[in-house]
Amino acid sequence: MSTEATATMEIERMPSESKALPPKPQFEPLKAHEMSDGRVQFRKVSVPPHRYSPLKKYWMDIYTPIYEQMKVDIRMNLKARKVELKTRPETPDISNLQKCADFVQAFMLGFDVPDAIALLRLDELFVESFEIKDVKTLRGEHLSRAIGRLSGKGGKTKFAIENATKTRIVIADTKIHILGSFANIKIARDSLCSLILGSPAGKVYSKLRQVSARLAERF
Amino acid sequence: MVTPVEAAVESLRQISTEPPVWLVPKQELSQAVRAASKLLFASLKPHCTKSPFDELLIEGFDAEQIWQQIDLQSQPLLSSLRREVKKFEKHPEEISKLKVDVEGGKKKVLEEIETENVVVNDDDDEDDDIDMDEEDEDEEEEGEEKEKGREEESENEGEEKGGIEDKFLKIKELQEYLEEDEAREFGTNKKKRKAETKKHEEDTEDEEEEGDDEENEDDTDEAEEEEEDELGLFGGDDESDEDDLGNARYEDFFSRKKSKDSEDKAKYRDMLEEDSGSDDEHVDKKVKNQRKDGLSKHEKELDELRSKIEQMEKANLDPKVWTMRGEVTAAQRQKNSALEVDLDFEHNVRPAPVITEEVTASLEDLIKTRISEGLFDDVQKAPTLSSKAPREVKELDDNKSKKGLAEIYEEEFVQKTDPASAPLTFSDELKKEASMLFKKLCLKLDALSHFHFTPKPVVEDMSIQTNVPALAMEEIAPMAVSDAAMLAPEEVFSGKGDIKEEAEMTKADRKKRRANKKRKFKAKAAKRPRANTSVRNSDEGSKV
Repeated sequence: MSTEATATMEIERMPSESKALPPKPQFEPLKAHEMSDGRVQFRKVSVPPHRYSPLKKYWMDIYTPIYEQMKVDIRMNLKARKVELKTRPETPDISNLQKCADFVQAFMLGFDVPDAIALLRLDELFVESFEIKDVKTLRGEHLSRAIGRLSGKGGKTKFAIENATKTRIVIADTKIHILGSFANIKIARDSLCSLILGSPAGKVYSKLRQVSARLAERF
Repeated sequence: MVTPVEAAVESLRQISTEPPVWLVPKQELSQAVRAASKLLFASLKPHCTKSPFDELLIEGFDAEQIWQQIDLQSQPLLSSLRREVKKFEKHPEEISKLKVDVEGGKKKVLEEIETENVVVNDDDDEDDDIDMDEEDEDEEEEGEEKEKGREEESENEGEEKGGIEDKFLKIKELQEYLEEDEAREFGTNKKKRKAETKKHEEDTEDEEEEGDDEENEDDTDEAEEEEEDELGLFGGDDESDEDDLGNARYEDFFSRKKSKDSEDKAKYRDMLEEDSGSDDEHVDKKVKNQRKDGLSKHEKELDELRSKIEQMEKANLDPKVWTMRGEVTAAQRQKNSALEVDLDFEHNVRPAPVITEEVTASLEDLIKTRISEGLFDDVQKAPTLSSKAPREVKELDDNKSKKGLAEIYEEEFVQKTDPASAPLTFSDELKKEASMLFKKLCLKLDALSHFHFTPKPVVEDMSIQTNVPALAMEEIAPMAVSDAAMLAPEEVFSGKGDIKEEAEMTKADRKKRRANKKRKFKAKAAKRPRANTSVRNSDEGSKV
């Protein structure tokens, strides 16, 4: 073993050093499989009861991209009511597992598969959840009215916000989940909060219009 | 011998004594009155030459026509009578020239007429409410009464001349007065003057306006009075300046003259009033005393001039009237003196329009025409020039988006990196549609305007064709009736085999149907959960 062989990393020699430092090691990136000392990595996503039948319905749509493209093993543990994900030897990147887990989690929260798929494809998408009571304490009828205000007639307010901000929104009783990029999530969250706090839909629309115009102008 | 006139009058008197008789139309009354009027007409006939009727036509004529005949005769007769009476008034001696018996007869007639007048007047008052039959008699009576009245008046008056004179204006007196005035002015003295003028003024004191003659007469009186007054003034001046024509001294202008002038001025003002005949007389006297005999005409003229000059010089030396003084504030003139003067100044504002009916009518017409035309002068906004292109306003779409989130982000990414290959946005599609429409329109316009034939452009369009027959033949029958667009039965229904109603089916058919259904379901169910088996190997047994 000669120092020259590993001298590609060393640019200058260190003269008069009695103790020569060992050359900087060159490692190839670890595979997901070899992480944690070669043990397999798991993720487990619990299935809420109301998502059980949709899961059964869309199982193939979920399974195919995860198994084929992300190279992650997926299975449904019926007894425990969990979806389990496992790395395979050919999983290219450790983040794949996490992305798949996020994808499945998003589905469990209530998002549709084509929307949740975006999580697999794009890096910078997030899911934010908050509750109505975080914004304002409402009880009884006020709460119901607030939820109605959020959705609008036939869901049109929710869709308007979704289309304007390029996000997806799920309103599950008192919990609200938003899927999208960071800035868009912020805008959608602002609109939803103003709706919770009581502003009429028209006002929110006008604000959305301004914002979307600004967003479109940026490109 | 009783004249026909007297007979007629007598008959009339007999009739008209009892007023209740007139309440009911009676034939004999009307006949009698008509006969009487005819006689009267005939009696008057020789005096009027211009009448077209020889006699009053009664038979078959109604009241109005009879009255018209009488009127025709009496009008020129009345005017001629008036002329005669005036002539007699002017020359009273001519009355005596008339024959005595005529005069006596006239007098007697007049007496009778007077009594008649009294009676007839009473009758007229009572006969206000009788029918048409009596109207002609009334009118005749009135006509007679008028004629008689005129004569009576003329007798009472005595001397009435011409048309312009009445009891106020007497031309003869006016002439005399003028002569006297001239004589006085030029030196001759007439004592009669005074009395005449006094009388004249007394007459003018009675104020009654009857026609232009009155005003003319008043004006002439005033002019004469003014003439008189001027002469009075001149007379006053004459006394002092008669000897000192060349040596004008201060005391001539300012000391002695002042009192005299004020005196005369006072007199002048007084004389302008209507009811001061005595002052006038006084001035006249004074004027007469001051005048010296033997002043020639030329000297008199010189006197006049001198007095005029003195007057004017005095006016110049006096402080001017406030209207001639230039800028005058309210404190420098008398109270309300500006009201008496006709001031002329420019008005900066147009005077308010007088609203008459015509003005309102014209305005309303204008409004109506404008409304019918629709030509309102509405203010139209001036079009602003937009410097930059209008921004694309993105409408908020409140429907569920058909694309998934992933696709949206994908499109966005592609647009950022490679704009050319980006899929068409909504606005692009709109633009495409617009351009297509415009092309179609241009084609049509070109076909209309150009002489040469241009074929339709080929548009590659993938569209679904409806179910139309291969040969669409033109039918003469109207579309609703014709069966060209009808579909063939096999096109309407696509089915196989023998179709049977529910009720028609036999048991075997029903069984067959059920068996088919089950088979299909099984095939479908088999397709679905095929993939599960490959992964879940270990848990197959513990399937719930």
